[in-house]
Amino acid sequence: MSETQLSHGQRKIILVGNPNVGKSVLFNSLTGAYTTVSNYPGTSVEVSRGHCDIDGERYEVLDTPGMYALLPITEEERVARTILLEEDPRVVVHVLAARNIERMLPMTLQLIEAGLPVLLVVNILDEAESVGMSIDIPLLQEKLGIPVVGAALGRRRGLAEIRAAIAAFDPLLRARFAYAADLERDIARVAMLLHGDYRLDRRALALLLLQKDEEIHQRVLTVEEERREAIDNVVKDIVFERRVDLHLRISLERKRVCKGLLDGVVSQRQGQGPTLGERLSNWTMNPWTGVPLLLAVLYFGLYQFVGGFGAGTIVDLFEGRLFEEIINPWVVDLGARYLPWNWLYELLVGEYGIFTLGVRYAVAIVLPIVGTFFIAFSVIEDTGYFPRLAMLVDRLFKRIGLNGRAVIPLVLGFGCDTMATIVTRTLETVRERIIATILLALAIPCSAQLGVILGLLSEVPGSLLVWSLTLAVIFLFIGFLSARMVPGEQPMFYMEIPPLRMPQPRNVLVKTLTRMQWYFLEIFPLFILASVMLWAGKMTGALDWLVKAMSPAMLALGLPTEVSAAFIFGFFRRDFGAAGLYDLQSAGLLNPVQLTVAAVTLTLFVPCVAQFLVMFKERGGKVAAGIFVFVTLLAFSVGWGLNRLLLFTGVLS
Amino acid sequence: MKCGFCGREIPADHVQQSCGLCKGGCRKIHCPYCGHENPATPAYLRRLAEKKEANSQTHQEDDHS
Repeated sequence: MSETQLSHGQRKIILVGNPNVGKSVLFNSLTGAYTTVSNYPGTSVEVSRGHCDIDGERYEVLDTPGMYALLPITEEERVARTILLEEDPRVVVHVLAARNIERMLPMTLQLIEAGLPVLLVVNILDEAESVGMSIDIPLLQEKLGIPVVGAALGRRRGLAEIRAAIAAFDPLLRARFAYAADLERDIARVAMLLHGDYRLDRRALALLLLQKDEEIHQRVLTVEEERREAIDNVVKDIVFERRVDLHLRISLERKRVCKGLLDGVVSQRQGQGPTLGERLSNWTMNPWTGVPLLLAVLYFGLYQFVGGFGAGTIVDLFEGRLFEEIINPWVVDLGARYLPWNWLYELLVGEYGIFTLGVRYAVAIVLPIVGTFFIAFSVIEDTGYFPRLAMLVDRLFKRIGLNGRAVIPLVLGFGCDTMATIVTRTLETVRERIIATILLALAIPCSAQLGVILGLLSEVPGSLLVWSLTLAVIFLFIGFLSARMVPGEQPMFYMEIPPLRMPQPRNVLVKTLTRMQWYFLEIFPLFILASVMLWAGKMTGALDWLVKAMSPAMLALGLPTEVSAAFIFGFFRRDFGAAGLYDLQSAGLLNPVQLTVAAVTLTLFVPCVAQFLVMFKERGGKVAAGIFVFVTLLAFSVGWGLNRLLLFTGVLS
Repeated sequence: MKCGFCGREIPADHVQQSCGLCKGGCRKIHCPYCGHENPATPAYLRRLAEKKEANSQTHQEDDHS
């Protein structure tokens, strides 16, 4: 007999919840050893099925993939929701983690408003209690209007109560929670047009339609043949009217309802207020404390660790001692002895040789900097600081046509601007994508470029301050200008904030090594390629011609003509250009004003080839070419103006 | 694996998929929830990472420091 036939007619228990809340522990405790795991039909997502007997009644138990909300984003969530829609459950057991009840309860609300027969299991109570957190389960049950069981399933606590609650479950129990009047009015406008027979409550369907759930939209269109046009029109009207804040409103309303539900339910033992982590988390998002904390992160993480330790100490050791004193003389000597052809000598160990330039830049200058940057980035990432930064800068970013969501591509831009330009596609509107692309191309230096520049400028008092202020002003000014010139909507930003954590050394190690491997596999070959192209340019005379062609621009910036080479390098890769600047500074060719002007212009100067190609692909030829021309002109104009200003005021002279 | 930005669990089959943007094989995983670019753990580090994930599952959602 097939599994389907076996399960036919049996009552079903469906376990749902976020990943890692103990659903599988409950599944195993209920079903025992005899379970099957198979792909859900038409998908590659595995679903576990088993059976259990409760009070003489046989149930089929389904363990669904983790889901965060009823509105699915991943294939797993889609399958979990399909199970809820198709399997006709007797009981839906929503398992959540007690310590994160505030974050997870909105999904309980969604399940209830969908009209599903929900039993809530507040799991891992023991851990919550160990930190002084107390949850009044009977009060929560009373407020929610559904059965609620407290449990610590890892210790088998609460299992008997769950079984009893399933046996006594009353499917007629229905609770209802109201949102703000204007939102309710819009929900009702859609819901009243839905007359078909659905598994989900009409109110929940209306909310999913308003949130542009394509699967639900198709289901509704199939059922509501005569009213499909009317439904579509009403949904379109409401979505258009609320285009700026619909998702935000729904999320905030759910948060508000949950806050009310948890009022008096969750309490902290006396003398055990918020933990240090919770207090620190709040400080990072409050502008008064968040900005100083951000400056501290930048100072210690970037300036001291990447700029001082990476670009200073380690580069001095690798470049100054290892390569300049030991490896390079040996390799050049070897080349002079065994390479009879000048072109081969130049290609391998000449001025732009693969070894003397490509390998040296990649290994001795850039690798220590990106290595230290990756360590700092992974530590900060592992603490959960970035989403807090997004909340902190949200208000400021709104002024430049973006919102907190843009923190993702902009922060990633400090790693690699090319990849960050791809990530701009996660921003909601075309307007935001264009503004973020401009800012990435203009004012966000990649990790290696940033590290080299920090290392170079930190040796000249005042220079780093001028560079930082100039870039900050340009970033804000161009962002502010773009926000006024680029047409389009500005959506609101809202995200669930994950808990702040101590960075785990193992996480940091894995992430850093993974990123370092990426650097070696994908970036190192580009350095070699760039040195080959520069060698070809030198041999054919094209490089000399380019350097001469750029000389007037260099003179206008008050820079020696040799700096042209760094700009040409910079077009191959930003960090390659910065390494070129490092060489010029090491050779004593630049005074403090020239160094600062060169660093500012090079940072603002056109993005590297790879970033330009991605801009072309993501934003189209016209926009990419426009950004290219704009950024180039602006970089040189700012460099020219800064040179004049510094010479006129005597700052840094 | 957990997303380094939003902290949500990235489904296993998503981890194995490449978005197809990078030629020559993708070494990054974009979180389906927030779009953050997470580094794909190479094979030689997988055992270390799996140990890490096993530990984090033992502690479940014990994230507060």
